[in-house]
Amino acid sequence: MYIIIVGGGRLGYYLTRALLDEGQEVLVIEKDAGFSQTINAELGSVSLHGDGCEVATLEAAGANRCDIFITVTGDDEDNLVACQLAKHKFNVPRTIARVRNPQHEKVFKKLGIDATVSTTNLILEHIKHELPSHPLMHLLDIQEKGLEVVEVTIPPGSTCVGRQIKELPLPQDSILSLIIRKERKPLVPTESTVIEAEDQIIAVIRPETENELRAALMSD
Amino acid sequence: MEFYRILVPVAGSQADEGAIELACSLAKQQSRSKIFAVHVIPVERSLPLDAEIKPEIGRAEDILGQAEKIAQEMGCVVETDILQAREVGPAIIDEATEREIDLILIGVTYKKHYGQFCLGDVLPYVLENAPCRVLLDHQIDV
Repeated sequence: MYIIIVGGGRLGYYLTRALLDEGQEVLVIEKDAGFSQTINAELGSVSLHGDGCEVATLEAAGANRCDIFITVTGDDEDNLVACQLAKHKFNVPRTIARVRNPQHEKVFKKLGIDATVSTTNLILEHIKHELPSHPLMHLLDIQEKGLEVVEVTIPPGSTCVGRQIKELPLPQDSILSLIIRKERKPLVPTESTVIEAEDQIIAVIRPETENELRAALMSD
Repeated sequence: MEFYRILVPVAGSQADEGAIELACSLAKQQSRSKIFAVHVIPVERSLPLDAEIKPEIGRAEDILGQAEKIAQEMGCVVETDILQAREVGPAIIDEATEREIDLILIGVTYKKHYGQFCLGDVLPYVLENAPCRVLLDHQIDV
């Protein structure tokens, strides 16, 4: 698989190293000649000095045969432009962009970027996981299908405790796919499964119905 | 000085002939010496590294054939190889490392770029990164 990474900073460097270790063909496009040289010296001839937002650079990088195009510069605008060029000019099948400002994520998605990675949101999710006051956690975005996988921990005082799943006002199209119970085997719930306090539920939902799910499973 | 494994990168320039001849002369001084002649085809990133670039491969075969002929005339055997790489310098260094070469011998011409003497990109890289001795052979009549 041929992967192009735009941005040869620390993130780009370690990402490149990890992907090379996996046996992938990787090229890093880096604006700074010094950084580019360092990468070439340490990882082999895998860096191209140039601007990933320029068509000529992407042509020289062989973007036309690229399988995955990843942008990890510190600049959201550069990440967006480079991904859009890759997507629309070179028909790259999969583009992934780093987003520094989480508010930009929606714009990236609207403009056709296949996947976004927001470090702010990732850290936030980890913090939420550590805090008992945040029992709903995002596990995975399935952007192309407009779905997300979330984990919900049922608070002891929730109105859903002791009720069957079919009795709950769950959002339309939502699926409760797995229940993990303390010191018991995980189970695939059916409509008649009774919810217990502190159940960890893995659910597949539409992102816009997150509040409905929260109300159905976590309200006092 | 004894050299048992000599690598001669050939690029199809006029200086190749002198480099092969010198390599043969050095090899003849040791009974177990081996000469390796390689030609590196730089492959654009728009193509996979193992792409079959027929005109380039044909040219490489001609260049290496010529090197073999020169060595034969001097009573030596040269092992030849065509390499495909993104950059020539690192490919030469990798080859020298893999084959445990103890001398890289390169024929050079006196190239000028904008009126200034210029070694190009490959030679400085080889000089900086070679795992063995490097000999640049410049012939005055080339």
